[in-house]
Amino acid sequence: MDSDPDFAFPALVAARLLLAFAPLPDALKYDQQLSSPLTSYSRLREGIYLFQHGIDPYSGGSFRHSPLLLSLFSTVLPLTPYTSALLWTAADAVAAWALVRIWRLRTGAKKTSRDRQIAALYLLNPYIFLPSLALSTSSLENMLCLLAIMFACRGRASASLLALAALLQLSLPSILLLAPVLLLNITRPVSRLALPQPLDAPLKQAVPLLAEFLGYTVLLTFASTLVCGNWAWVEKTWGASLTLPDLTPNPGLWWYFFTEMFDHFRPFFLMVFSVHLLIYVAPMCIKFQHDFLYAAFLLLGVLAVFKPYPTLSDPGLFLTMFSIFPEIYPYLRHPIVTALIHLHASLLLPLFNSLWLRQGTGNANFFYASTLVFGMGNGAALLDAIWAGLRIAIGELKDGFEIAQE
Amino acid sequence: MRWGGSWRTCFLLALHLVAASAQGEVFEEELTLRPLRDGKLEARFSFATLLKGATPRNPGALTVDDEAQHYTLFPLALGQILREHAVTELHLTLNAGKWNYDHWGYPEEPGVGTGAELWVWMADTSPSSVDQRWQGLRHSLAGLFCASLGHLDDQRTTSPALTFQPEGSLPNFTHPHQLRHATLPSEHVCTENLTPFLKLLPCKSLSGIASLLNPHRLFDADWHGLGVHVRYRQDAGVEVRLAFQAVFDPVRYSHDRRRDWSLRSVFDRTIERACPVARSSVVRIELPSETSYVMSPGPTDVVDNVATFAIDSGKEALDISMQWPGEGSFEYQDTSKAPPLTDISVRRNLEGTGQAEARLTLEVANNLPIQVSAGYLESMPWHLQFYLHTLRAHVDGAPRDDLVNIISYSPPVPHSRPALLQAVLTLPPHATLHLTMDVSKPFLRYTEHPPDAQRGWDLPPAVVVPFAFGDPLSTNGTAANEPPSGSLRTQQRALAQGRRPRRMYTPVMLVDLATPDFSMPYNVIIMSCTLIALIFGSVFNLLTRRFVVVEVDPRPEKQAATDDAQ
Repeated sequence: MDSDPDFAFPALVAARLLLAFAPLPDALKYDQQLSSPLTSYSRLREGIYLFQHGIDPYSGGSFRHSPLLLSLFSTVLPLTPYTSALLWTAADAVAAWALVRIWRLRTGAKKTSRDRQIAALYLLNPYIFLPSLALSTSSLENMLCLLAIMFACRGRASASLLALAALLQLSLPSILLLAPVLLLNITRPVSRLALPQPLDAPLKQAVPLLAEFLGYTVLLTFASTLVCGNWAWVEKTWGASLTLPDLTPNPGLWWYFFTEMFDHFRPFFLMVFSVHLLIYVAPMCIKFQHDFLYAAFLLLGVLAVFKPYPTLSDPGLFLTMFSIFPEIYPYLRHPIVTALIHLHASLLLPLFNSLWLRQGTGNANFFYASTLVFGMGNGAALLDAIWAGLRIAIGELKDGFEIAQE
Repeated sequence: MRWGGSWRTCFLLALHLVAASAQGEVFEEELTLRPLRDGKLEARFSFATLLKGATPRNPGALTVDDEAQHYTLFPLALGQILREHAVTELHLTLNAGKWNYDHWGYPEEPGVGTGAELWVWMADTSPSSVDQRWQGLRHSLAGLFCASLGHLDDQRTTSPALTFQPEGSLPNFTHPHQLRHATLPSEHVCTENLTPFLKLLPCKSLSGIASLLNPHRLFDADWHGLGVHVRYRQDAGVEVRLAFQAVFDPVRYSHDRRRDWSLRSVFDRTIERACPVARSSVVRIELPSETSYVMSPGPTDVVDNVATFAIDSGKEALDISMQWPGEGSFEYQDTSKAPPLTDISVRRNLEGTGQAEARLTLEVANNLPIQVSAGYLESMPWHLQFYLHTLRAHVDGAPRDDLVNIISYSPPVPHSRPALLQAVLTLPPHATLHLTMDVSKPFLRYTEHPPDAQRGWDLPPAVVVPFAFGDPLSTNGTAANEPPSGSLRTQQRALAQGRRPRRMYTPVMLVDLATPDFSMPYNVIIMSCTLIALIFGSVFNLLTRRFVVVEVDPRPEKQAATDDAQ
């Protein structure tokens, strides 16, 4: 590991650790922006408790974490207030380190002046550290995602695919990242947004990698089945992303839509929303075949807006990854508007949630409207990133020339 | 030969009795009245019909036609339902009000949970048919009693076999018996439930004790409940017992606030004549401990503080009255100083003001000087989800998690199964055990909310059964600290004689769940779809249309369009 003699990174990690031990995080544990039914810490503790007392946690409906987490936390790493704070801080530190490595691999330099800023941006971004303080497992998902991308950038295919398979066990919508990460393994992560070329590596190289990924997935699935003793976990964990049984509010767009849906139309719209996520993969990968890291970044943005059970970590990861693409900054069309919409939404989301559920003076529409604004903010960021990624290929325009689309 | 009226009556009576004894049916009715210490009067009507020598139907033989059943006194409608679904034991109660254990003591009928409660023991068959027969049974009973028992579907059905043990015997069929229990706390009870209940009696409400059942007075009582209990007694046969229990307030009825009561003042009726087919028809009065009352007419028999009045067909109308001539208007006891009348006192609350999570608390106070073990049953529909890992027990502020022993827990499944928690609580002498548990309130779909969604959902009562009194190791079960006084010693002697465990029900709770805006389904769909379509369309736009550089300078010779190699 190239360790950096600079003290900024350890200092940041130490600050995060101190914050994790502060008494404040107790109030955050039940917050609906920071943890969803799939990532909530209290549900994880409940599942582990039931598991340790011989009751199948998947026989009821409130435990939706992967059996791998169940076995990890009930055997190797028991969850106490100290170990969980340490573990989540370590996950954030590893994710920040992976992000800095990705940046370095992209620029090809061993150490740059922006490393500290990127690490700080990840560790101090409220969208990322608040869910981590709330001990939401979405921080672990972010760590696995960044590790998968980092190993792919380094060309370490096995490690990358194993991390991606583990991420798939934790969160089914991450299947969107399979194509770009797979193809990132056979191409270089160096920025070629400005010089787009067709895919130079033969696609045949990706087939054994795909087989390896499927092998890892099958292995982990069988390991999960061994932990549980039956296949009930599939319906409760992966099935939750497809059938949306739990309508707890979150910053996403699905929950209120399916709360207000009549039963007759529910299966159709569930199918539409799930397929809608999948249709972004091929166009993004084809359009950005010269830079699959950017394609992965954009698909993370798609997940941030349209995922079934998002938390603030998902848009947090997307926004933080803007920092490793500084070449697109001159070409962003409306960064300030996006930032202001995000500011607006991020202040209103907890406020309206509290007004609705804790104070009782607002109703569900307040919070729903703030999720729509949040969705607009994330969508605006995604659209800006796509535009800038494509626009950069055209370069500087002389006076009197304009870009248009035909 | 002259057929006078009295000859005809005797002939019919003889015919009935011959017929009844030939079939082996015995009908007994009984009314128990108990004045309570807060001036109220508890009345319990019990009408028991025993079908001698009968056995419950074997569910394995359900495909074959049943043998013909001839009932004279046994209610035909109920009998048909029991045989159709091959039910061995059935208990249905429809109650309204909150039973105040501290001031009224134990009820004569233990099933006092508010609303409708139905539990049955049915034998299984080889492809399991219990759930199907349970559903058929619920709908048949709903039709018979005009109660919405069809709502006791699998969102409310559990199988708490430790708490609801069979009260009769279970015949030895091929497959074991299973319990199905369901509660509907929001069910209301009114005359339309009483009318079919009375139709099940041999004498209806025309004669005998049932003639006192005046709906105007019954449903005005502070607490009232009707019950149907069917059980199989191995040495006797199948017994159907219809019960009606009520707590009246004579102080409220009287114009000068006295607690004197009579059958006329309480029920607005008297017992005119006995039911001719009843083998025994008695009224029992539990006499109060003080001697300042006057009871008239004189009882047939007084045994052990219970006065018995046998109702004979020949005598005139019976109107029992109890008066306290020396007393003016009734003075209520100071309730904070009055000792509780039950062994344990239970209180259950839901704390918290938010609509996302709350805290369930249970306080169980042990009023005895010895240790008591009690079973605790919560069958909670999925409208409240337990975090069992946060269950904590405190006695006097000190954490005592060892006093709670969870026997079984089945977690709730959203939109279907309720949670079932069965635990054993160990209560130290003269101590109050506080249990707290975090719970979360789920978010329901639009179509799952009831029409009056802001009212909230009624949660069924918890059932606490004190079953073991005294430390099993010490034979006397005396408290360590104080020397037992005379009354304590008699108390302990009674306890050590193995009291039958009696169920205690907590009151129902109301949980209010977050509601979506019910006027908004169309608006939500269009707004969300608009946002998704906008983003999708813009992404589609950017990814599929080529970028071209166009010159906007109007100089004609420099017009050039360059395609970008995309």
